[in-house]
Amino acid sequence: MAEYKLLTKDIGVEGLQTLPVYERRGGYQALRAALRDRTPDEIVEQVKISGLRGRGGAGFPTGTKWSFLPRDVFPRYLCINADESEPGCFKDRYLIDENPHQLIEGIVIAAYALQVKHAFLYIRGEYHDQRLLLERCVEEARAAGYIGERILGSDFGCDVIVHGGAGAYICGEETALIDSLEGFRGQPRLKPPFPAVKGLYGKPTVVNNVETLSNLPHILSRGGEWFKAIGTERSTGTRVWCCSGHIERPGCYEMELGRPIRELFEEHCGGMWRGRSLKAFQPGGGSMQVLLPDHLDLPLDMDAVMRAGSSLGAGAMMFMDETTCLVNVSMRLVDFYHHESCGKCAPCREGTYFESQLMHRLEAGVATLDELDTLKDICANMDGKCFCPLGDTATWFVMSAYRHFRHEFEAHCGAGGCPVAREHRPLPAGAAR
Amino acid sequence: MTEASTPAPDDGRVEVTIDGRVTRAPRGQLVLDAAAAVGVHIPIYCAHPKMDPVAVCRMCLVQVEKMPKLQPACATYVSEGMVVQTQTVPVAKAREGVLEFLLLNHPLDCPVCDRGGECDLQDFTLRYGPETSRMPITDKVHFDKAVPLSDKIELDQERCILCWRCTRYYEEITGEKEIVLQERGVHTSVATFDSRPLRSAFQGNLPEICPVGALTHRQYRFVARPWDLQRARSVCPECSYGCNINIDSREYEVKRFASRDNPLVDDMWLCDRGRYSAPRWNRTDRVRRPVVRAQGGDQEVSAQNAVREAGRRLREVRDQHGANAIGVIGSVECTNEEAWLLQRLAREAIGTTHLDHQLDPFPGLSPEEHALGIAEIEDCSAVVVLGARPEQQAPVLTLRLFKAQRKRGTAVHRLPVDVDGATLRGITGGRLVGVIADEVDRPQAAHVAQLLAGGNTEVRRLTVTRGVNGRGCKDLGLLPNLLPGYRPAPGAGRCGTEILEATGAGQVRALVIMGSHPWAAAAGVLLTGALNAADLVVAIETQPGPVAQAATVLIPGHTHVEKAGTVTNLEGRVQRIRQALPPATTVPTELRVLSMLAAELGCERWPAETVAVDREVSATLPAYAVAGNGGRTRWPVPVP
Repeated sequence: MAEYKLLTKDIGVEGLQTLPVYERRGGYQALRAALRDRTPDEIVEQVKISGLRGRGGAGFPTGTKWSFLPRDVFPRYLCINADESEPGCFKDRYLIDENPHQLIEGIVIAAYALQVKHAFLYIRGEYHDQRLLLERCVEEARAAGYIGERILGSDFGCDVIVHGGAGAYICGEETALIDSLEGFRGQPRLKPPFPAVKGLYGKPTVVNNVETLSNLPHILSRGGEWFKAIGTERSTGTRVWCCSGHIERPGCYEMELGRPIRELFEEHCGGMWRGRSLKAFQPGGGSMQVLLPDHLDLPLDMDAVMRAGSSLGAGAMMFMDETTCLVNVSMRLVDFYHHESCGKCAPCREGTYFESQLMHRLEAGVATLDELDTLKDICANMDGKCFCPLGDTATWFVMSAYRHFRHEFEAHCGAGGCPVAREHRPLPAGAAR
Repeated sequence: MTEASTPAPDDGRVEVTIDGRVTRAPRGQLVLDAAAAVGVHIPIYCAHPKMDPVAVCRMCLVQVEKMPKLQPACATYVSEGMVVQTQTVPVAKAREGVLEFLLLNHPLDCPVCDRGGECDLQDFTLRYGPETSRMPITDKVHFDKAVPLSDKIELDQERCILCWRCTRYYEEITGEKEIVLQERGVHTSVATFDSRPLRSAFQGNLPEICPVGALTHRQYRFVARPWDLQRARSVCPECSYGCNINIDSREYEVKRFASRDNPLVDDMWLCDRGRYSAPRWNRTDRVRRPVVRAQGGDQEVSAQNAVREAGRRLREVRDQHGANAIGVIGSVECTNEEAWLLQRLAREAIGTTHLDHQLDPFPGLSPEEHALGIAEIEDCSAVVVLGARPEQQAPVLTLRLFKAQRKRGTAVHRLPVDVDGATLRGITGGRLVGVIADEVDRPQAAHVAQLLAGGNTEVRRLTVTRGVNGRGCKDLGLLPNLLPGYRPAPGAGRCGTEILEATGAGQVRALVIMGSHPWAAAAGVLLTGALNAADLVVAIETQPGPVAQAATVLIPGHTHVEKAGTVTNLEGRVQRIRQALPPATTVPTELRVLSMLAAELGCERWPAETVAVDREVSATLPAYAVAGNGGRTRWPVPVP
């Protein structure tokens, strides 16, 4: 099996963020060819053939998503979701930082395929430098005729607008993103109607992730069939994995789908740091369920990981060594959801608050075993009852950690402190326990 | 007989099974409503019958077959073959869970909360909620307890369960967008933008749509507990729109007016002018005892003696100066029954042609004037509102216009009364166009309607009458120029102003006045002059005032909240009002008094009970057969 690098192939080339260098490396050729040789429907067909699935977390087939647009309703809009806020996830930032024109080319190809005249790139507030970079690159591309009226002499015209969010996790949810873009409080909308039917400004809208669109120049230049051959049957192509935690070499690594997680962990990440051993890891970002060292042999395949009770989500991999307290990690993640809950629906708004209160008591070692049952029960009352998936996922890590490390949770009850910290991080001599 | 296998014809309905009850629900109906239709109760907080679904409270989660997750009944539409379960363990668990979440940061205010006793959070907690709190700590999230949002509304942010009804009310019902949500997550709270006070004319609806005690009426704050209130179904006395209300009273005082949904009239919304007029019915300066004024001084007498004296003195005037020396003036606050008997008294018992219920002359009626019903506004492709008066007189009209605009795309044109033809030609007609004008602008409205009509466009007019029963008084002929049913009256009768002028000039020698307060102030010196010049003033009054002071025979009257009967709203809907307070006087009802007075004048056996009068009215005027049923009466109808 050949080692494929698509999105990150050119990364490292001096000045790739500038248009001349990107063009020298073959940039914008796919767009040029698409505008010249293909109809929009042919492009949608190629994307469908490629089997490309969304890289934002849900893994929905991109071509299918595109085909949901009603055929004769215009204007339509394309939103690019660069509101990457999942804990442990930084691939979109990496792709923007290192190869912004690849994304812009992908956007314009998608805009042509969908016959969109306005594409809105929604980037999270904290990505300030990346926003400035993208704004500069959009101007560069506009000056070179890749954006604007009559792109490359064709009849097609499209504008790309870079919009900075205010830094809310919820705005990564597609309908909340649309609300925020329209100037409202960023909160998810009731579905149906789905954005494909009634999205931005009440018009058919497609929301795609940065990495998803960055794949388009490659699919278009070499064909959907070629792309389909990479990866597994239902998880095609490559993905950029954001690896973090207690590993030797944290960072972003592109790898073909279907290869074992162990390969990513050992070859790219260099294994655990300081010779320690792996206690657990979390694929997919802060929302997803924890996995155990046994799961390292799972393939990087969305469905296989799903069967193991977790998900590849947005492509984050967080590795934890044996000194890590899973209660502590759960508490930190729950605090994140408590802080980021938009407050729209009751189970998420109040449930994350309740969860956070209980997790703090548990980590401090003052909770009782009854409270542990309460925790379990409120998670059950939240999961599947919330307005949007973000509320449901606020319980997934805690519940999986509880399932796999029940003894650790129970050991915290009435312990007067964190037993894991006591064992692995001894206090300085003389300090009171 | 149809075979079981043949598919049912498409009647726009789908077969749904809810808790084992099979029903055919209209396509596009929400599961919540379909369930209610078969008698299955689903608890809700954020859902509201008049607002679009948001599905934020998650209280209405139900099990739908073939769906992996529980679905919100308030935002799920019925589909063919759908099977819904609301009584299963997962549903019960979800309800209990949501209630636990809602109660997590909810204060234990119930004993002092205005809403206690009629609070959905209390009620559903009792029915579906957890028994105890599992929150191990007492540290709830705290908010401000008494935030004044305006001079009418006070907000308790802690009690709020963030159902979004108030924000949606402003977006969807009034269109004013005055309330916002601020902050996020568990710190979210309801507020006004930039802490500016609310300015809407419809704020009083907020505490009513609030499912808990967060939004409160400042007028009603800490005033009563719901279970101590006595409730009477009535009609708002403030204008001719005829909004249905509940009059809630306790210990002989009206405590509040609450809305009573009539989709054809008020659509459950009241204006602040109407709602907060409640305390005016608690006035203590009332006429309580019958008085006869003679040379020897004032004398308190029994009702019978007062009526007898009034009859004797009226006979004297009639014998000396003729029947037309007596003028009769009622008011727009007369019920239909009172108006009926009063005009009979004037015409039959006294024999005068001078009778009216208002000051200004009322020159006839054209059939088109009241053709448009309130609810029909929504069917109009365009509506022309002439001047600001209609919406000033009947504020709730504004909400109906906004609803038509928002839901049905009706174009609402607010134009000056003297609008020119060019502007009107710019209004593209549809199938149905409405013209709404005030009573005083009827000639202009007729002109506008004429200009708009033509082609396939039908124009219907709606005229805003004055006072709670101005329409009924006109329908029933309490007018000098029109008999009941708008038949022309013989003889040259004088209108209210003319009666007072003629009294001042000595042509009219005696006045019979019933309820002068709606017009007394406007009549001013004209009234004083008439009262001074009159030989005899027989008055049925509720309040002290110039008429009560000058009356030769003064008989206490009953206020809107003390009497029963029917009133007719501006579109001709005849609605019943009911007694909410015990009367401030022991004198019989106006109907009884009028019938006794008629007997004194030689007309025996007049009806004196509401139902009996209604029967008489319906027998004479078939259009009033709808009396008290809430139906619309339309004119002209053939009068036998």
